[in-house]
Amino acid sequence: MNYVPGTASLIDDIDKKHLVLLRDGRTLIGYLRSIDQFANLVFHQTVERIHVGKKFGDIPRGIFIVRGENVVLLGEIDMDKPCDTVLQQVSIEEILEEQRLQQQAKQETDKVKMQALKDRGLSIPKADNLDEY
Amino acid sequence: MFRFQSLDEDCTLEEEDEGLVEDEDEIDQFNDDTFGAGAIDDDWQEEHKRLAGLEDKDGLGAELALGGGGMGGESDLGAAQTSTSTHLHSAGHAPLSSLKFSLSSSELPSDVDDRGGGDLAESLARLILEADPAIAGVGAAERPGPSPSSSRSSLSALQGLNRPGVPAQPSSIPHPIQPHQHPQHPQHELPPGPSASGLPPGPPLSSMLSYQQQQHLLRRGTAPMAQDSPLMSIIKEVGLPKRPPQSRNDEVRDLSERVPPPRSSSPVIGSPPVRAVPIGTPPKQPMSHALNHQIHHPTAVHVRAPVQHRYPPPFPERVSPNTLLNIANSPLCRGPFPPGVGTVLSQIQHAQLLNSQVAGFPRGGPGPPLLPVGSGFRPFFGGPPPPLGHRMGPPPHGHLNHTPPIRHNTTHLHPQHRRMLTQRMQSRGGDRGRTGGDRRSRDPYSNLMTQKEKEWVTKIQMMQLQSTDPYLDDYYYQNYYEKMEKRQDRESDSSKKEYTTKLITPQVAKVEHTYRPVQFAGSLGKLTVSSVNNPRKMIDAVVTTRTDDEEKREKQVWNKRRQILYTVEKMYSMLLEVQDFEKRFVQAPEEDREALLERHKTNTTQLCNSLREKEWDNRVNDEQCVMIMSVRKGKRLISRLLPFLPSPQAAAVVMAISRNLPALAKKDKQDQVLCWLVEPVSAVIQSLSSSTLTDLLQELQGSEGQLATVLHNKFGVTLLYLILSEGERMQSTDPNCQLMDDNRWTELVFSVTRELLSVPSSSLSPPLFMPPNLLSLFSRYVDRQRLDLLQDKLQ
Repeated sequence: MNYVPGTASLIDDIDKKHLVLLRDGRTLIGYLRSIDQFANLVFHQTVERIHVGKKFGDIPRGIFIVRGENVVLLGEIDMDKPCDTVLQQVSIEEILEEQRLQQQAKQETDKVKMQALKDRGLSIPKADNLDEY
Repeated sequence: MFRFQSLDEDCTLEEEDEGLVEDEDEIDQFNDDTFGAGAIDDDWQEEHKRLAGLEDKDGLGAELALGGGGMGGESDLGAAQTSTSTHLHSAGHAPLSSLKFSLSSSELPSDVDDRGGGDLAESLARLILEADPAIAGVGAAERPGPSPSSSRSSLSALQGLNRPGVPAQPSSIPHPIQPHQHPQHPQHELPPGPSASGLPPGPPLSSMLSYQQQQHLLRRGTAPMAQDSPLMSIIKEVGLPKRPPQSRNDEVRDLSERVPPPRSSSPVIGSPPVRAVPIGTPPKQPMSHALNHQIHHPTAVHVRAPVQHRYPPPFPERVSPNTLLNIANSPLCRGPFPPGVGTVLSQIQHAQLLNSQVAGFPRGGPGPPLLPVGSGFRPFFGGPPPPLGHRMGPPPHGHLNHTPPIRHNTTHLHPQHRRMLTQRMQSRGGDRGRTGGDRRSRDPYSNLMTQKEKEWVTKIQMMQLQSTDPYLDDYYYQNYYEKMEKRQDRESDSSKKEYTTKLITPQVAKVEHTYRPVQFAGSLGKLTVSSVNNPRKMIDAVVTTRTDDEEKREKQVWNKRRQILYTVEKMYSMLLEVQDFEKRFVQAPEEDREALLERHKTNTTQLCNSLREKEWDNRVNDEQCVMIMSVRKGKRLISRLLPFLPSPQAAAVVMAISRNLPALAKKDKQDQVLCWLVEPVSAVIQSLSSSTLTDLLQELQGSEGQLATVLHNKFGVTLLYLILSEGERMQSTDPNCQLMDDNRWTELVFSVTRELLSVPSSSLSPPLFMPPNLLSLFSRYVDRQRLDLLQDKLQ
C-alpha cells in the first residue's frame, strides 16, 4: 500500500532484498528492514559484494545501518530473476586478494602517470572526494 | 486535505501518550514504591552501602555459584558430566529433565568448589542465562550466596522449587512461558524467608541483575509476591546497580534487543522520567510485559527445563527473531540425538557451542547449525532452510577439510556469520524455487518496522510537502501534474471511470508562528527577555507592511495634509511678522525703518500672493483657500490675515468663503471654529460696495440647496444676516444706493425670505448675533403675513 501515491517512498521497499551502492564505492546487498525520514537504511543479513573483473565475492556483514547521505543508489533485487549468470562467485579470500591486486595495479598506473606528467611539467590536482575540511 | 495528525505543533511536550510513560502500572509502581506500600522506612543509604560493599566482594563468587546452581552447566566444561547434562531435553521430556536436574544439582556441591574454570563458568553462566528466556526474570531473587552452605541451601530451595514445578510441566508444554514463571515466583521468594537469610543473597543478586532485569522485577508488581520480602523491597528501594561490564562475551551474546531499555539511568529514587518527546523521535512501541521480559531478561538460575519456542504458533510480532533462533538453534547437530528428536536443543548444547566458540575449543563436530524448522529462516542469501529434521551431518565433515581457514585480514566475523558462510558455501544450489511471497510469509524478520512507524515516517514526509503557495514552491511539479492529468483525461475513454490515486498534499494556511514577548502597554521600550524562541534582536525595528495601493493613498493624504500645514505655518510666520511690524517700527531706530518697511511690504505681498491663483490676478485660489481653511489653524490664520489684505483681495477671500461655505461647514464640523471668521468678515462686508455685496449674496446662495445648508450652519446664518443687514443699511442710509438698480438684490432677498420661511425652525441655526434691521429689510419685500412669520422665526 503506497502511503503517498504518485511519489517515491521507501515504505514499499521494506522487507525486500536490495542492493545499495554507497559513496565510498561499496556495494551492499541486504533486506531493507527500516527507514526514516533521512533515508537512513537498516539492512538485515547484509552482504558486501566485491566485484573484481568477472569475479565477485560476498562478505556477510550482518546488520548494517547506512546513513542516508552516503547512499548513491538503491534498488530492489528481483528474487525471481536468475542472478550472477555472467559473474563468477569466488571465496572471500580470493576476491579480497583480487581486489588488492586491482588496487595495486591501479596505484602503479597512477604512479606512472603522475611521473609522466611531472616530467612534462603538468600536474593534475587530486580530486577531493571527502567533504571534510 | 490529507493529514495524519495535527502537524503544526513543534513541541509535543503536552502529549502524554507519546511520552515515556508506558502504562498506568508503571506510574503506580513508582508511586507505590515511593509513597505507598512498597516504601520502606529504612535508611537506604546504609542499605545501599552494605549491598554495594557486599557486591564487590562476592560478585565473582556469586556468579560462579549462580552458574553452578543454574544448570549444572559448569560440569559441561569438564566434559565429565556431559552425559548427564546432555540428557536434558526440551519440554518434550520435561519430567525426565527435571529429574536429571535434581541429579546434576545434587552433584553440585563438589562442583562449586571446583573453581578451576572460574572465568569460563562465569561466562558460560551468562550465556546460558541470557540465551534462555525461560530463565528470564524468574530466579532473579534467587542467587545463592558465595559460601557453599548458602549455595546448598539455595540449591535445596531450588530443588524444592523444581519439584512443584515438575508435574505442571508436561501439561504446559504448548503454553507460553508466562504462566509457568509466575506461579514460580512466589515460591522463589519464600525460601529466603527470614530477613537474615534474605539479605545475604541480596548483594550477589544485585550484582547480577541488570537494570532491565530490575525493571522487570519491578514491573511484575507486588501482586505475584506472596509476601513483601525485605529483599525485594530493598531492591526496589535502592535500585540495582548495573551489571559488571562484559569482557569478551559481547560478541557471543546475541541479545537482540529491539526494544530499547528504559531511558532513565538513575535508580527508582531519583530524577523523574523524561517526558518530552521531540518530533524526530520514532513512535514508542508498546511492550507486552511478560513476553518481552521473558525474552529480554534472561537471568534466572532456573532449574526447570525450557518449555517453549519450538513452535511458537502465532508469531508474536515483537518477539525478536534472533532470540527465538538462538533459543531454537542447535549448534550441535552432531550431538547424540536420534534423528527424531526435535531440532531444538536445550540451553546446554547451545551454551556448549557458544562456549566452544568463545574458548576456541576445537571441535570435530560443529558444523553448520541446524536451522529451526518452524520458520523459513534464511540466514544469508542462497542459504535455504533445511528440510525438517534434516541434518547436515556428512557434508560438514567433508567440507571441513577443504573449507579454507578464514583469513585474518577479513573482518572479524561474527561466529554465527562464519558458520553461515561455510554453510552457505555448501548449500549453494539450494532451494531457489520459492517465491518471494512465500519467503516473505515465513520471514521472521518481517515487519520489524511497525505500521505506526511507517505512518510516522510518511507523516514527516507529508509535512515536508506542506505548502502555502504550491505554485511558488513547486511550480514545475504542479504544471507537470496538470499536464499529465489532462493527457490522461484525453486518452482514457470516458466509459471506464478509473481514477488513479492522487496524492493530495496538505495545504496549510499560513499561520504566523511568531512568538512575541510580553509587552506592557503604554510603557517605553520593551522587556529584554530573550529565550530560544525569541532571541534578542540586533536591531529592534518594527516593520509595518501595507499594500501598495493603500500605502499610496495614505501617503497622498498625509502628504497633502502635511503640505497644508506647512503652508499654514509659513503664512502664519509671515503674518506674525506683518502684525508685529507696527511694534517694531516704533521701536526701531531711524536707519532701520526703511529696511523694515521694505520687508513689510514684501511680506504682505507675499502673503497676498500665497492666496492668489496667479501673481497678477486678484482672484483667490479657491482650492488653496479651502485647503487652508480645512485646518483649524488655517481658519485662525485667515481670520487674522483678512485685515491685512488689500480690500479687493479681502473681498475675494470672503467671496471664496461664501462660495465654498457648505464644504467649509462640513470640514469645520469637528473644530467648530468658523465663527472666528465672523468679525473680520463682517469688517470686510462693511467695506464692500453694493454690487460686490450683491455678488456676495449670490455667491452665498450659490447653487440649489446651498442656502439651506447655509442656514443650517451658524456661521452661514450669521454671514447671511450680516450681508442682509449691510444691504439694508446701505439702502436706508444712502438714498442713491445702487442696490436696487438691478433686480438681483431684490430677487436674492426674495429667495432668502422664501427659504427662511420654508426652512423649519429646528434646522435654522441661531446666529451669533441678530442684526436689528433685518425686519425692516424684510418689511420692504414681503407682506404682513409673511413678515410676522419671519419675525417668529427669527426670534
